[in-house]
Amino acid sequence: MTQRRSHILSTTKKITELIMEYFSKAWNAKAEDRPIAWVTVFTPVELLYALDIYPIAPEHFGAMCSARGLALDYLEEAEKEGYSQDLCSYSRCGLGYALSGMNGLMPPPDFLVTFRNSCDVYVKWWQALHMHLKTPLFIGEAPYVLASEDLDNYVLDYVVKQLEQIIEMAKERFGLEFDMEKLVKIVELSDKASKLWSETLELRKYKPCPLGGRDSASDIFPLVVMQGTKEAVEFYEELLAEVKERVRKKEGVIENERFRLLFDGIWLWHAFDLIKYFEDRGAVFVYEPYSDAWAYRMDASKPLESIGRKILHNGLNVDIDLRIDKFLESIKDFQIDGAVLFSNRSCKSWSIPQLVTADILNKDFNVPSIMFEADMADPRQYAEAQIKNRFDAFLEVLSES
Amino acid sequence: MKIPNSISDLWKAPAILLSQYKRSDLPVLGYTCNNIPEELIIAAGLQPFRISNVGANQSALTPSFTCPFASATLENMLKLEEFFSGFAIAHTCDPMWRLYDILKKKISKPLFLLRPPHNTDNELSLSFLRLEFNRFKEFLDKNFEARIDDDSLSKSIKLCNETRDLLKGIYLLNEGVNCKISGFDRFQLVLAGMWMRKAELNSLLKALVVNNEKACDGVRVHVNGTVIYDLNLIKAIGESGGFVASDDLCTGSRYFWNNVEDSQDHFSALAHRYLKKPLCPAQDPLHRRLGFIDDMVEKFQIQGVVTFAEKFCDPIFFDSVHIRNNLAKKGIPSLFVDYENPTQEIGRIRTRLEAFIESVGGGS
Ligand code: SF4
Ligand code: SF4
Repeated sequence: MTQRRSHILSTTKKITELIMEYFSKAWNAKAEDRPIAWVTVFTPVELLYALDIYPIAPEHFGAMCSARGLALDYLEEAEKEGYSQDLCSYSRCGLGYALSGMNGLMPPPDFLVTFRNSCDVYVKWWQALHMHLKTPLFIGEAPYVLASEDLDNYVLDYVVKQLEQIIEMAKERFGLEFDMEKLVKIVELSDKASKLWSETLELRKYKPCPLGGRDSASDIFPLVVMQGTKEAVEFYEELLAEVKERVRKKEGVIENERFRLLFDGIWLWHAFDLIKYFEDRGAVFVYEPYSDAWAYRMDASKPLESIGRKILHNGLNVDIDLRIDKFLESIKDFQIDGAVLFSNRSCKSWSIPQLVTADILNKDFNVPSIMFEADMADPRQYAEAQIKNRFDAFLEVLSES
Repeated sequence: MKIPNSISDLWKAPAILLSQYKRSDLPVLGYTCNNIPEELIIAAGLQPFRISNVGANQSALTPSFTCPFASATLENMLKLEEFFSGFAIAHTCDPMWRLYDILKKKISKPLFLLRPPHNTDNELSLSFLRLEFNRFKEFLDKNFEARIDDDSLSKSIKLCNETRDLLKGIYLLNEGVNCKISGFDRFQLVLAGMWMRKAELNSLLKALVVNNEKACDGVRVHVNGTVIYDLNLIKAIGESGGFVASDDLCTGSRYFWNNVEDSQDHFSALAHRYLKKPLCPAQDPLHRRLGFIDDMVEKFQIQGVVTFAEKFCDPIFFDSVHIRNNLAKKGIPSLFVDYENPTQEIGRIRTRLEAFIESVGGGS
């Protein structure tokens, strides 16, 4: 197998610095007695910033720990307390961190905020944090979006009213005043970052694809926890400019792009080089529903409604038919040759319907797919050689079709 | 006490009733969970039938790490589809939620997903659930040419309240240090409530003479978890020297603990009942669930608590830590038992139960 040269964007390389800055700011906030919220992703980060509450996402922390080979200690700490190895590894990592004194990157929380949207684990995980840390807890509900009407009817109304409750709680618990004008500005920034991200993702339609899986996996970070900050906007401006330039110069992630792939799932953080394994063999990831989910546009003239819609409308919380439509559309638009579906032991919410989705892709739309089982953050559930063998076979199938 | 013939052993093959319903042209709505209001189904002129995992293996449509209960339930829905006029699922845990996704692509019968709020402590959740029940009513009216009105709803609420009162009355017979009815018998009656016609069941329950003469010699055990349809698990506790005096299960006390209040506004009353019923393990706030178990332990003079869990059941896997910690503070011993297939694993399960019950009994 000839190894191909593959690129990571220069902007992507700046992400580590941005992350470190973000965490040091969190500790600064703690030192200044500003409340720290631990949030699940797709929680109203914009609203928290507007209230001067600093948001941190333990899911992101779990991914980072896993990528740097630091997750195991935390996983084991949680398991020692009795949390089963069959529970989501992000939740075990976050609980392990909480149980082991919280002296690392994440300052201890003053507020625990979640909305049940991506999974029901959020509810159980946040409850568990609350049981161990006794920190004030807000469990929000973002009901499953059964049809697009839900983004305008009593379902949206329910979410918006819960956002108002967070504002109330911030006032009662922390004496924080809500400033609508500030929120409007933050939502504008958040929308700007989403717009830039969306434009960047669109450019992956070009052949050769200018931005690969290793980029998209890292570049998502500012949209997860820094929505509404100008640092995020600046990052995405730079990213878009770089990607545009690459398109102009016809520079791809890899030379001689052979296959364009869709990746369904969360990346395997502890085995991040799997993306490169594909790239080395001429296959590049051009679309992931996960990356796409963050490109959510907002309307600053209706900030709370916009935030509510965004919380509701994340990838895993919309009806299966809407999800499949999006899949199929992307297959056409991004000229996808095959799909890699990661059956993630941690994420039952994501993995359970995948067999049905794969079946539809294969039978009705003739898109070859491969499914493999592992865990996103727990390296103990990963049979590397076996998985790579299967990928080889899959690439073989693609070259024959 | 003798369990009526029509109830005895029904837990081993509840689908027998489905053929009877089919023969008598009674349309049946299959549902998965305690959060679905049977009152509305009955008011729509349908027979509610709770779908279990009995008689089914894990479905090939779900990955290996799916809760085996949810997966087998899916299998039963697909296998028995012809007996049902439609299905209702409640979004509680991730697997149950995703069953809806899968079924939407795999069945042709009308399918409904109810979205009961996870945060049951929030006033907003009450009004939301009320609107969800309204949507359920519209689904029933539209698909089954039903016309649910105040009158039909009022009647069905009375009927369901009566069933719940009767089951609760029987349950409470074991209060204190009493052991009037064995766990095994009692669970058979509760399960029948989810499958049989309510009016028929109510008359059987009313006629039941509960007169256990046996001396109370077992260690008093409380059982909690999600659902237990395989009553061999309950039997195993009896055979290991325990007496199942109380429970916190969807197929146990959570099914009948509270009633729908009499009100002008039936939908609000229903929402209130379903949101405030003993907490499903997927819901919040946890202190309500722990408090319910504490109350049971006290009321039924429990000596040891057994938490049963389907493998891969996130809600219970999380809760078991807090249940254990909470009971330990009060000096109540607890045991956590998980399984994939109770029938196959009963030997291992029994060994663990015996050791636990012996240690609890020895200490008392
Ligand atoms: S990985 Fe899945 S189960 Fe875990 S927190 Fe994320 S969405 Fe939830
Ligand atoms: S046993 Fe647990 S995971 Fe399975 S359906 Fe019930 S609550 Fe969900």
